[in-house]
Amino acid sequence: MIQSALLKKQRAFFIGLMALIVLTAIIGMGTGYASLSFDRLIPTFLGEGSFKEEFILFSVRLPRLAITLLAGMALALSGAILQGITRNDLADPGIIGINSGAGVGVAVFFLFFPVEAGSFIYFLPLAAFAGALLTALTIYLFSYSRSGGVQPVKLVLTGVGFSMALSGVMIVLISSAERTKVDFIAKWLAGNIWGTDWPFVWALLPWLILFIPFTFYRANRLNLLSLNQPVAIGVGVAVEKERLLLLLAAAALAASAVSVTGGIAFVGLMAPHIAKALVGPRHQLFLPLALLIGGWLLLLADTLGRNAGGADGLPAGIVVSLIGAPYFMYLLLKKA
Amino acid sequence: MARLYTDHLHVGYGDHLIVKDLTTSIPDKKITTIIGSNGCGKSTLLKAMTRIIPHQSGTVILDGEHIQKEKTKRIAQKLAILPQTPESASGLTVGELVSYGRFPYQNGFGRLSKKDHEVIHWALEVTGTAAFKHRPVDALSGGQRQRVWIAMALAQETEIIFLDEPTTYLDMAHQLEVLELLQKLNREQERTIVMVLHDLNQAARFADYILALKDGEIVKAGSSEEVMTRDVLREVFQIDAEIGRDPRTNKPICITYNLLKGENKHEESIYSIPVAVRAHS
Repeated sequence: MIQSALLKKQRAFFIGLMALIVLTAIIGMGTGYASLSFDRLIPTFLGEGSFKEEFILFSVRLPRLAITLLAGMALALSGAILQGITRNDLADPGIIGINSGAGVGVAVFFLFFPVEAGSFIYFLPLAAFAGALLTALTIYLFSYSRSGGVQPVKLVLTGVGFSMALSGVMIVLISSAERTKVDFIAKWLAGNIWGTDWPFVWALLPWLILFIPFTFYRANRLNLLSLNQPVAIGVGVAVEKERLLLLLAAAALAASAVSVTGGIAFVGLMAPHIAKALVGPRHQLFLPLALLIGGWLLLLADTLGRNAGGADGLPAGIVVSLIGAPYFMYLLLKKA
Repeated sequence: MARLYTDHLHVGYGDHLIVKDLTTSIPDKKITTIIGSNGCGKSTLLKAMTRIIPHQSGTVILDGEHIQKEKTKRIAQKLAILPQTPESASGLTVGELVSYGRFPYQNGFGRLSKKDHEVIHWALEVTGTAAFKHRPVDALSGGQRQRVWIAMALAQETEIIFLDEPTTYLDMAHQLEVLELLQKLNREQERTIVMVLHDLNQAARFADYILALKDGEIVKAGSSEEVMTRDVLREVFQIDAEIGRDPRTNKPICITYNLLKGENKHEESIYSIPVAVRAHS
């Protein structure tokens, strides 16, 4: 029942965004701390680059690029799901405590579990993932009532409360820790894409392969859930079950992203929102665009951040926030 | 035995019971109307019977199955519910909204079959909304919008249709239009219609069976002749009503009424009361 004019428009945006991603990726590959000039990109791809060029491209730039793209997509999808099930356009993974939960997970793990340096980086995402998922589940349980199930408003309020409480816990943890350790945690919180090796790509990819079709299969249910609860029940959507499944999917997606990138806010808010502004509220149409926008936003933020002043550059999370905070203000003003 | 009935049904929020120990059955292929004053539990009963809200104890049985245990999608193939005035349709077009009525017959990806398209087309035609198919629902007038939502319920192709105050916010002509549409569906296609109405005269005119509720319990159930009486209206609404006969339809009609002095707990109204009995919610 979707009009063909709208479908065409969506296809055009899809192709446009793909082009934008490719362009940003090429710029990203050719710029950065270690030099790999643009005219050497294609030869290096074809295996004719020097050892150094190949190392920079295949072991530094490409995995980082893949990670940022995938993480941005996961956050966007997570945000789209949350906005649908809470019927709130201002929802993002942050409200179900993903960032703060993962942050506390990382801090506790980092401060209290001594692990060898070699295996450390592989345990860290697990700690972040566990922290995020545990927080999301706790928030779900606290906003569940026996008579009415989970009410979206209650979920949002409980989520905000938990996020604040966990931020408090973070401050307590950090202020009692050693200086050198605090440094890493602070970097993690700022969203400094740190898991930039192929294993992290393989850790993130399965979640997307699993949950993208999962969510698309539920596009109509999401349409109905975001429309009106009695109407959704009336046409036969198992509202409680769907809400729980989708919430778990959103939590897993965001947690898997945040666990390798560090705390990143606003992508989950902005990407679905921009996509909806482009093609309207039907999940079938806007989800693919939201995925691309999310991937592109984080890619852009990371590329900008890597090349911004200083040897370390700016963390992607901070660049995204610089773009996202004004956008959020704009949304609030428009709503009021 | 009727397809849909309740047995000692209790519904409430928290400790507060709204519907108490209610046992009734909905006559098949008839128009049933639920009436009662504000807060008497008529909407709550409607929602509980259509599994929109859970009930505390007792049962609602549809075709021999407990309504809260059966798969909700299967119920949606037998029973449609149009809730009270759904707010916005968030940018959807008429055609899209009506197509959501096909959800109970679809798989997840939501591809519409040829049959789906036919039913949607029929639902749009019969409700007179086919002309707006590509317009956004939110851009329509109140009466048009109400008919679109009814079209969505019709697209579910169920034999039982519940409606919660389908005439609210409509002017007199549009109210009649909606009710006549429902009557037509009942007469021509033998659909069972159950609705909450505020206007007693409309209830008497269109219903084959009326349930009069007070404080979550049935005061009287029966034909309009049986329910539209001075005694029943006194008990249900605390009003002193003058009952006559509609010269056109020959149905009972409430010509005028006064509040009962002394007995009612409401504040006495200083306003003159309109002819039609309308309790506002």
